[in-house]
Amino acid sequence: MREYFLRRLLQSLLVLFLVSLVTFALIHSAPGGPVRIYLTPGLSQEAAKVQAHNLGLDQPIPIQYVRWLGDLLQGNFGYTFKNHIPVAKILWPTVGNTLILMGVAWFLSLIIAIPWGIYNSTREYCLSDQTAAVISYLGFAMPTFWFGILLQELFSLKLNWLPLSDMYTMGQARNILNLLPHLVLPVTVLTLGFLAAYVKYSRSSMLEVLFQDYIRTARAKGMPERRVVFRHALRNALIPIITVLGLDLPILVGGAALTESVFNWPGMGRLFVEMAMAREYSVLMAITLLTAVIVILGNFLADILYAIVDPRVQLAGRGGRSV
Amino acid sequence: MSGIPLGESPLAGNSLGGGNPGPESAPQVVSLGRMAWRRFLRNPFAVAGLIVLLFFVIAALFARFIAPFNPARIDLLAANLPLGSGAHILGTDELGRDIFSRLLYSSQVSLLVGFSVAFVSVFIGTLIGAVSGYFGGLIDTFFMRMVDVFNSVPLLFLNILMLAIFGSSFVLLICILAFTSWMGVARLVRGTFLQLRETQYVEAAKALGTSNWRIITYHMIRNATAPIIVNATLMIGGAILSEAALSFLGLGIQPPQTSWGQMLSNAQQYMLTDPLQAVYPGLCILVVVLAVNFIGDGIQSAIDPRRKVRRPRRRLGR
Repeated sequence: MREYFLRRLLQSLLVLFLVSLVTFALIHSAPGGPVRIYLTPGLSQEAAKVQAHNLGLDQPIPIQYVRWLGDLLQGNFGYTFKNHIPVAKILWPTVGNTLILMGVAWFLSLIIAIPWGIYNSTREYCLSDQTAAVISYLGFAMPTFWFGILLQELFSLKLNWLPLSDMYTMGQARNILNLLPHLVLPVTVLTLGFLAAYVKYSRSSMLEVLFQDYIRTARAKGMPERRVVFRHALRNALIPIITVLGLDLPILVGGAALTESVFNWPGMGRLFVEMAMAREYSVLMAITLLTAVIVILGNFLADILYAIVDPRVQLAGRGGRSV
Repeated sequence: MSGIPLGESPLAGNSLGGGNPGPESAPQVVSLGRMAWRRFLRNPFAVAGLIVLLFFVIAALFARFIAPFNPARIDLLAANLPLGSGAHILGTDELGRDIFSRLLYSSQVSLLVGFSVAFVSVFIGTLIGAVSGYFGGLIDTFFMRMVDVFNSVPLLFLNILMLAIFGSSFVLLICILAFTSWMGVARLVRGTFLQLRETQYVEAAKALGTSNWRIITYHMIRNATAPIIVNATLMIGGAILSEAALSFLGLGIQPPQTSWGQMLSNAQQYMLTDPLQAVYPGLCILVVVLAVNFIGDGIQSAIDPRRKVRRPRRRLGR
């Protein structure tokens, strides 16, 4: 176990290093490059030169890379081009807002999807199973932002039941009562997306197990069906489900860019889109790296978790997923 | 492919270098491709998907002749016309542009992006996967870490980032989308190649002195085509959705060119006065992507009949 843990850890660090390298290369291929990101705008050429020197931007590129990485590790993400605001200052609040939105949607879809998937696996092709199939087809084929717009048109413009957009109503106290109605529509959109994948996944994961020999044995010795499903099958079926949840962790941070844009939710995804329009590379780089860290961490945790619940993985060389 | 009850004929065909049994086969022998095609035709969803897709392809190809108006023509005197206003079948937008014509021309963009992204990324993915799986070792490690790197940034972010840096044009959009979606195919092909590498016909080819390149492109890729085709089909839908999303955010297709995603972002601004405007483009995207996904699933179950074999067993179990 220790060896597997270390190997996966090193692998994750390597990938993280490569991501930072690619991100850095992208900054440097951007028009204007890092000089545009870090220098105070509107300086004379002389002064700009001095500041570039002070910031180390006249150094060779490898040295710049090391310094940039060092800065990042200390939490210095650089400054915005416009207004020269520290990136960290605009970034961190949006991370929290995204987590609220995604956390609620994710939790909701899990407590609906997993029991539903289990139910469907025991009654294949029943009405509920067909409904789930329709939902997952729609969820995979429907543009989420379109669904969001339709919900806005129906529930806020036509019926006037729910607020159109934003996280809080302006001029009112920023408490949970203000937040909840704003959450309903974006959470609905996101939940449909998650649901589409998770119902299908937990169903097929259960089916995979339900037709194995030990389940047949359990049935053959007269065990009640309920016990077969929940005691014997579910345990093994949950393993791949847990892994997928770990792999989906990144979606919690990065997956909502469209929904956030539609509903004007002040989260990280919307910030990313806005900053892309404004060509604020320093913010883009910071968010890219931040999501990469979370994704790699999620993958790492998923693999370790998998190896703990299914010890065969450790013996099979590298983690099962990458094969 | 082992589940297909055809005896030795697919393998025999391959070891002779003939691939799937072609015209030289005895008349009774049905080729793998034809069997799959028959199974495909028995799947109503897949056939419906194919018909719908063909319908859109024809609409896109002949948009110039079908469209009653120039999609970019601004006519402020005929702005905001409702549904069913004479020649403007679906009405006009706030600038008086004909919505039906814009939908038609947008289908060109969506389908072109969908097909070319799928083609290019499948090409890249197959090449990388094949080389990794065949040679293994350092090459494999290098490419698989590259896959990890690409997979560790949300795709939408990566696309937005690259569009922000390199600007957006139609060709660039296709390149960027293709460049960021080859990983799935690469993994898939690599997995198949890892298995195939150990087979006897590859060993035989090597013993005969066949070059690596020829073994990969001539002998092994044939045996990976089925999953590649399925993946490519599903990728068309993904690319159409990505294009719509990026154009909706204002980073993809730029005016005067038009696309469904762009139309939606326009419609969102006027949803108070003209809510129907947002319905059509989204519906088009949904229908096309559904059609493509149905086709993909149809091909999947047509070439991988294992599920068909398993189903009756399940019913007996009940």
